[in-house]
Amino acid sequence: MSKKEKILFRAAIAFALMFAVTPAVNAMHIMEGYLPVKYCIAWGAICVPFLVAGVISLKKRVAENRKAITLIAMSGAFIFVLSSLKIPSVTGSCSHMTGTGLGAILFGPAAVSILGIIVLLFQAVLLAHGGLTTLGANTFSMAIAGPLLSFGIYMLCKKLKANRKVSVFLAAFLGDLFTYCVTSIQLALAYPSEAGGVAASAVKFLGVFAPTQLPLAVIEGILTVIIVMAMESYAKPELKAIGFLKEAR
Amino acid sequence: MIVVDKLCYRSKLRYVNASEKFVFSILTLLFCVVSRSLVIAGIVFAVNSYLTVQKGKIPGLLYARLLTIPFLFLIMSTLAIIVNISKIPLDAYAIPVGSFFITGSFQSLLFGIQLIATAMASVSCLYFLSLNTTMTDFLRVLLKLRCPKILAELMLLIYRFIFVLLETASAIMVSQKSRLGNKDLRTSLDSFGKMGAGLLLRAFWRSNALYDAMESRCYDGEIRVLEEEYPVRRAEIAAIAAFELVLLGITIWRKTL
Repeated sequence: MSKKEKILFRAAIAFALMFAVTPAVNAMHIMEGYLPVKYCIAWGAICVPFLVAGVISLKKRVAENRKAITLIAMSGAFIFVLSSLKIPSVTGSCSHMTGTGLGAILFGPAAVSILGIIVLLFQAVLLAHGGLTTLGANTFSMAIAGPLLSFGIYMLCKKLKANRKVSVFLAAFLGDLFTYCVTSIQLALAYPSEAGGVAASAVKFLGVFAPTQLPLAVIEGILTVIIVMAMESYAKPELKAIGFLKEAR
Repeated sequence: MIVVDKLCYRSKLRYVNASEKFVFSILTLLFCVVSRSLVIAGIVFAVNSYLTVQKGKIPGLLYARLLTIPFLFLIMSTLAIIVNISKIPLDAYAIPVGSFFITGSFQSLLFGIQLIATAMASVSCLYFLSLNTTMTDFLRVLLKLRCPKILAELMLLIYRFIFVLLETASAIMVSQKSRLGNKDLRTSLDSFGKMGAGLLLRAFWRSNALYDAMESRCYDGEIRVLEEEYPVRRAEIAAIAAFELVLLGITIWRKTL
């Protein structure tokens, strides 16, 4: 090969590689640098009270039982690993779980807010899902709003004595959908449409992401049910240790 | 397993003082986002890519591949910004659909391009930090910034556990694959769920064992490790300051225009 051919060959490989990699369909992390500064700051500020509450509850748990620290850390690592693995999907694109619904059901919303921000930071730095400037907005949608709704629905279903599988599915599925709606609204607030303002823009964002996010939410729901059911059938003592299954059913 | 984590240990810029790299990328990132100008985005993208690929010796192809990760989000959300559905056609383009128009203005097209450029430049800042700084150095910088101790400790532990769990997960997935655990969607969903449950169970066992191991080595609520200090170099600080001043100058110039 002459030098020119070599360069051409390399360029062709580079070109092919650029397109061979399927872009990750993740649970709508807003990418680095996509939000204007004032929105980055505002969403970060909104997260602060939740995070403070999370740190306080964490400190209390660790003071009560020092062993809790490794357990909480393992739970955080578990959420990260689960969200970094490719899940089977219908379309063949590579998509990821959020694991926040599962986290909210197992560990409660206070712990998930802290674990969530740490996991999101790691995802930004290690996987380039999300970013440092958009950490606040992503934390609000994925580690606070979604898990709170999941937890609420799970508790509600428990009160209504709904079928366990149905309640776990609904909690994870709706939590995921809610995260996607919140993210769309966050984007719409930052970028109102020229024709129709914030509301029209929100509809556009919801529409654009619906084809990837709706199947993802269903799959997340199903996976969460399988995981929780499997855990209940052969890990009862461990579940008691983290406070899940505290009240004897 | 995690490409970025592997690469950052190979980087030639790994032993540059971590605080310097942190300050450089965060300030540059801020200028990118604040100014939203094509000029700054171009400069920042070029400088970061040069530093990462030429100075840091991160393979260029891998770097290019990593840059495409957020592509789908970028394309789709930018589409949502520049495409409008309205009864009145705007100036750039207008495709009639029934009584409505799919339309957009030149201003929003320009805005979309600016947004894409800013976002890509910001991602290059993020990669400069993560491809040239190891996570432990990064966490140490966070600790210096007075991040609560319990958080820093939790992060250190989580970072360590990620690899332990990833290894377990991939071993489980390999054995599932070898037993036709992914033959169709139904089976693969079931396998993935069971892998998750098995993984969580292992995680709990491990956390118990780990706590015992830590306690037997006198753990009393704080993990103390020796730090390796990499000296702050004057020339590097001067270069960073000069670069940020240039960016500041351009930002002010573009804003007052």
